[in-house]
Amino acid sequence: MRILIVEDEKSLASEIKQFLEKEDYNCDLAFTGTEASELIAVNPYDFILLDIGLPDYNGLDLIKEAKEYNSEAYFIVITARGELEDKVKGFDLGADDYLPKPFSLLELLSRIQAITRRKFGQQSSVIAFGNFTLDTIKKHLQYETSPVDLTKKEYKLLSYLVLNKNRVLDRLQLTEHIWGEFFEDDYDSNYIDVHIKNIRKKISVFDDTNYIKTIRGIGYKFEY
Amino acid sequence: MALGINLSINMMKSIKLKLKHKLALFNALSKAIIVTVLLFIVPWFVSNITIRDTDNLLIHKLDQVLDLIDRLGIEAYIDMDAELKAFGSYNILKEEFISIEQIDHAEQIDVIQYSQRIIEDELVEYRVLSYSINENGKQYLIEIGKSISTIVRFEENLKRFAFLFLIVVITLTFLFDLSFIRYLLHPFNKIVDKLRTTNHPDSFNYEPVKTTTEDFVYLDETIHSLMRKIEAAFNNEREYISNVSHELLTPVSIIQSKLDNILNNSGLDEEDMIKIYESKKTLRRLTNLVRTLLMISRIENEEYILTEKVNMSTVIKNVTEELEDKLIAKNLELRLQLKLKDFLIEGNENLLFTLLYNLVNNSIRYTEHGFIKIASFKKGNKQIIEISDSGIGIHPDKIPHIFSRFKNSNETKDSYGLGLALSKKICDYHNINVTVSSVVNQGTTFMLEFPH
Repeated sequence: MRILIVEDEKSLASEIKQFLEKEDYNCDLAFTGTEASELIAVNPYDFILLDIGLPDYNGLDLIKEAKEYNSEAYFIVITARGELEDKVKGFDLGADDYLPKPFSLLELLSRIQAITRRKFGQQSSVIAFGNFTLDTIKKHLQYETSPVDLTKKEYKLLSYLVLNKNRVLDRLQLTEHIWGEFFEDDYDSNYIDVHIKNIRKKISVFDDTNYIKTIRGIGYKFEY
Repeated sequence: MALGINLSINMMKSIKLKLKHKLALFNALSKAIIVTVLLFIVPWFVSNITIRDTDNLLIHKLDQVLDLIDRLGIEAYIDMDAELKAFGSYNILKEEFISIEQIDHAEQIDVIQYSQRIIEDELVEYRVLSYSINENGKQYLIEIGKSISTIVRFEENLKRFAFLFLIVVITLTFLFDLSFIRYLLHPFNKIVDKLRTTNHPDSFNYEPVKTTTEDFVYLDETIHSLMRKIEAAFNNEREYISNVSHELLTPVSIIQSKLDNILNNSGLDEEDMIKIYESKKTLRRLTNLVRTLLMISRIENEEYILTEKVNMSTVIKNVTEELEDKLIAKNLELRLQLKLKDFLIEGNENLLFTLLYNLVNNSIRYTEHGFIKIASFKKGNKQIIEISDSGIGIHPDKIPHIFSRFKNSNETKDSYGLGLALSKKICDYHNINVTVSSVVNQGTTFMLEFPH
């Protein structure tokens, strides 16, 4: 997978690059719209992460441009301006997702993975652990043939853990993923813990393996 | 008296009329005054003329009579032997009469006046010319009368006709005036419409209004230049907010990414990882603060469109779905008493969602046992949403401050009071009246009154 990161903040761009390269993505950096425009014209990219608040270029124009040379590329639009119209315009021009700054790198990765799953067929959409199967398209969990009854949020939480197995997910990342951008004043709450407790209970009906490990003071890790 | 005038002036002030109606009304009133005056003057004038005419006729007739007496002698009319030395003649319809009679007193009579005469038992109103002559040493009084009943009738007819005529003329000119004023004021109405349909300088229509009236051109141009100034101010503010947003959130984003990478690269001991996680939490707090402040600024700058048709019942449903898990986690009962099925209002769906989300979320936060109730109903002709809880309540001293920024009702929980400040802003932006009632340790109720 080849990704172009278009971000005028060099420091942020290199953090994103460092994170994604650890996940085996091939990353190019463009710090200006002009650079990005040149790179887009000659290289085929699978993903383009685009900060539309570029100093020299209207980010939205860049989407139009890229659609010509890199019609296969998926766009994730990043903005710190929080302009409502940007979001709408971005989607109108064919952006595949939208992330307001600041976002967690894990959330960015999960968006990239979600688009990949959506666009590249069904095979990778079913994930198995033990005798459980998690279908990320139909959004449900099954033990052998019997469905496990999870609430929407429980499913969202579990699938996030499963998709990022063997990685520590802190409560903030989990909260951000399941509650999104809502203006939570009480993100320090124990709602995540309650959800995890319920998920464990529902899984233990079928299988007493402890898949979800508690990481003291931070969050959880799915181990399989 | 002064009170009465004051009262009527105040009443006039409180009655708002459109300019075209005022002008038409004024025209009609002034015409009515002219007509009323005419109604009194015209008949008087006309009858004066007819009377003078009649008088001239009478004088002319007198001349004829005098001429006849000169030629034929008074004896031709008065039998000198008869006891009653008088002569009288009238026509069948008693419209005119001529009488000559001998009188005793000697003074000269020469008058024309109104007089009632009884002729054949009928009282008739006459204009009578009385004139005395001396003939053969004797005084004679000649009277020539002309009935004025025809004149009176003519006058009445004239009055009636004039009245009808003027009514017709007034109505016609009023209608004509109205349509002309409407035509004349059309550009003005267009200017007013342009202003009325503009709820943000962005949506203002700068196309000049077509008119040949210089004043309207001037008005239109003045409004345009004013609008451009306002628009520029709005855009500056918007750009400022957007830049502030960028300037604040980009560094936060950089720090967050760095912390993410540090955590991801592990190799850290547990203590350090927890410290980094705590820093991320602080950063998140800062992010929420900045986002909420920016949202408040955007509302103040009226950047959100308010013309979406929003079904509040759906919004309530979405909010409860979103918060369902929190209710379950805290073991709180959700009571829904939604009497309004399709509760449509005009506004901004995102903001209205945020409003209800914040209020319900706030209730959940401050309630440990019992219930959260969401009710919608009609009170009078107002649509109401009530969110109540069985939570810790708000101390009466603190209720006036709960919507202020950075003040919160409960110092023990680290809330920053911006959630309610934002809610209040959203309410004001939508003209929703929000009131709070609360009893400590029993619960709090937020009541939203939607504009009709």
